[in-house]
Amino acid sequence: MRHPSVSRARVAAISAGLVLALGAAACGPEDNDAKGAGGDSTPHKGGTLTVLNSEAQTDFDPARLYTSGGGNVPSLVFRTLTTRNRENGAAGSKVVPDLATDTGRPNKDATVWTYTLKKGLKYEDGTAITSADIKYGIERSFAAELSGGAPYLRDWLVGAADYQGPYKDKKGLSAIETPDSRTIVFHLNKPEGEFPYLATQTQFTPVPKAKDTGTKYEEHPVSSGPYRVVSNENDGEHLVLERNTHWSAATDSERKAYPDKIDVRSGLDSSVINQRLSASQGADAAAVTTDTNLGPAELAKVSGDKKLAARVGTGHFGYTNYIAFNPTVKPFNNVKVRQAISYAIDRSSVVNAAGGSALAESATTFLPNQKSFGYTPYDLFPAGATGNAAKAKELLSEAGYKNGLTVTLTHSNAKDFETSPEIATAIQDALKKAGITVKLQGLEDNDYRDKIHNVKTEPGFFLAHWGADWPSGGPFLAPIFDGRQIVKNGANFNNGLLNDTSVNDEIDAINKLTDLDAAAKRWGALDKKIGEQALTVPLFHPVYKRLVGSDIKNVVISDWTGVLDISQVAVK
Amino acid sequence: MSEALVATQVPEVSASGTSGALRFWRRLRTQRAALVAASVVALLVLIALAAPLLTALEGQDPTTYHPSLVDSARGGVPVGSLGGIGADHWLGVEPQTGRDLFARLVYGARVSLGVALAATVIQVFLGVVIGIASAIGAGWVDQLLSRITDIFVAMPLMIMSLALLAIVPSSFPRPVLVTLVIGFIAWGNIAKIVRAQTLTLKGLDYVSAARLSGWGTWRIARRELLPGLAAPVITYAAILMPVNISVEAALSFLGVGVKPPTPSWGQMLTAADVWYQAAPQYLLLPAGALFVTVLALTVLGDGVRTALDPRAASRLRVGTGSKREARAAGKDSGAAPEEGSA
Repeated sequence: MRHPSVSRARVAAISAGLVLALGAAACGPEDNDAKGAGGDSTPHKGGTLTVLNSEAQTDFDPARLYTSGGGNVPSLVFRTLTTRNRENGAAGSKVVPDLATDTGRPNKDATVWTYTLKKGLKYEDGTAITSADIKYGIERSFAAELSGGAPYLRDWLVGAADYQGPYKDKKGLSAIETPDSRTIVFHLNKPEGEFPYLATQTQFTPVPKAKDTGTKYEEHPVSSGPYRVVSNENDGEHLVLERNTHWSAATDSERKAYPDKIDVRSGLDSSVINQRLSASQGADAAAVTTDTNLGPAELAKVSGDKKLAARVGTGHFGYTNYIAFNPTVKPFNNVKVRQAISYAIDRSSVVNAAGGSALAESATTFLPNQKSFGYTPYDLFPAGATGNAAKAKELLSEAGYKNGLTVTLTHSNAKDFETSPEIATAIQDALKKAGITVKLQGLEDNDYRDKIHNVKTEPGFFLAHWGADWPSGGPFLAPIFDGRQIVKNGANFNNGLLNDTSVNDEIDAINKLTDLDAAAKRWGALDKKIGEQALTVPLFHPVYKRLVGSDIKNVVISDWTGVLDISQVAVK
Repeated sequence: MSEALVATQVPEVSASGTSGALRFWRRLRTQRAALVAASVVALLVLIALAAPLLTALEGQDPTTYHPSLVDSARGGVPVGSLGGIGADHWLGVEPQTGRDLFARLVYGARVSLGVALAATVIQVFLGVVIGIASAIGAGWVDQLLSRITDIFVAMPLMIMSLALLAIVPSSFPRPVLVTLVIGFIAWGNIAKIVRAQTLTLKGLDYVSAARLSGWGTWRIARRELLPGLAAPVITYAAILMPVNISVEAALSFLGVGVKPPTPSWGQMLTAADVWYQAAPQYLLLPAGALFVTVLALTVLGDGVRTALDPRAASRLRVGTGSKREARAAGKDSGAAPEEGSA
């Protein structure tokens, strides 16, 4: 459910970026429980945690951050109405209360959501946090100079479409009411059962109006979380966070806040980060990364060393890499051609190209393989591990291509092992066996993104990926398959240009549900139904592997983010 | 009288042409390093030409994936010792894909050597034509061509290539494009050398004589100037070859060279650079191939230069064998009167 505007172009990029913004060394459901990487003893308070990152935290204004579940480092400073559950695995994909006493009380058709703030909430200067501050925080995210967040608020709040933010429009948003200092009510223009997920984003952070300095606010945002920003050098390249003495664990059951100080250093090369974490010398022993995964070659080296391997955390983020078809381009208008390609695909080659089975899990469903998304296993065009060339040839000859077929696969030249040449050549090799000659069209990454998200230039056959803004089927399926979200002049994510009334109606019906488990089941069923049209060939779901320093304890990795939660980490 | 002079002069020039080639061979023969380098280059060319034959002998091809030959759980590192070297895969397989490295290496030689050779031919052709034209052309022609040459000499080859390769549509065949880009950018130096040498030759008596006898510009250029330019041009071409190989590798390394799945050494280096710890042979093979090729061509180039220019000693000072060289020089001077008398 994204706003049909240019800001969409960013979403796909952000989905990947989210991982960067959130991440940290991960420890995963299958090979580590709560104790995974170095969590062999009880965590204690104290010490300095170092964060080694490649990307600088250039945005630190809660209005401008685009996060899933409030981000990783930002979540240490900004509390929100709700937040993600800080637990390992599937339990971590639940939404839980943060500043509010519950995850929200909807009216009957989920168009009005009411929240009550906990008692005794304070900012870093000791003043009380009020519901009016949360309203103000949301309002300022509408200001053009503070744009950058997810487009949902503008889409969902009544009368928010043309709102200019509190600097230009002093009246404020009438869709948000604050009857008293602890109550806040949201009026939505359509039923949105997933509103509690949205309330985890940093736009729901309280901002005291008196302290708002506009675009300069990010240099010293007023903390509501366990840490406050002490210094922010070179636009987020070097951040130092220290304890916020007015934060109380009594009102915050999610953030553990073990270290006394957090030192975030960015602008490092990814190989340098992994090298420093594996060496773990000096301060690096108490270091993690929130944005750097282990690559295939690094994993090959690490997995050969038992001590190092024990310091690798594994996580799963709701994300799917797939082949997209544009059915308005020949021969992909023929469903048999799309099915033939689905049958011919060799997922073992593709998974290897993406880094092997430790870094990618082969996918036959569009939805990620997690319960919270409503994952319903299906394999409509069974290709086995290495492809079913015979069945593909049969379908091709039925489609009138007895002597084979030549097609062009468009991909990015970015070195990301997702939409990159490595994946494209693996597909090329697999389809060769089915008599399909694939020509590769590698584009510079920005050019590639522009082309695939524009209905006028969208190629017929290309590599794509999608990640959700929160762990649910809604933000995963609707932008890609809701016919009303096809954008003619702007960034379009409905690659298959599917506009099927029954699909659109089902999306509306599920959005009305406030029982998230019931909703998940229906998203899963819808995914399978859409899958029958063979508009995509799901390839793989990535797995994140990250190293942590040798002194790091209490590694928690939820399925929501797939990466280590920095609020849980201890260094002593 | 002038006609008589020309009559004696012209045959002499052509005679010194043949004896020059002979003398060149004699002098080159004395440089063991250059001979070894020449055989290495010959071998590489042979390997490149016979790539389909060699891979057929091995029973592999450069693009087929072998997912079963890599350890998927460990990032796709090749199964087996030394990167999966064995009877089926002589140099092992590529991590993640399981493609045969021997096949990719020998097919990669085609791209590296082919692009470098073709680019060198373009550079030499442009350099010689423009160099001679500016040396014997009218004042304004010289001015114009010399300034254009200066501009091309000043152009940073890598940056220009990156820019050009980035804007050309990907449907254009890449090896041809890389060849054209390198060939049409880096001809400036050779043009300058040719111009300088031509100016020197132009002042020599036999050229003046030819002009006085009424020969046209074209005929003079072809018959009188070109043979005199052979030495510096061959020398410079020999130096350009390894440079071009390096440039092609660098462009492929940066991702703007030949496109996958076509193998090239530079592209193999890019893919392999992260694997230097986990699968070292993957990096060492293309690196070693590039190293040997560039070294062989450089030593050969130096040998050619030394052989063509008796005044200059080998810059590299390797395998020149000063005694043998002195002997050869003695033979040269001894042979000269014989030729003269003949």
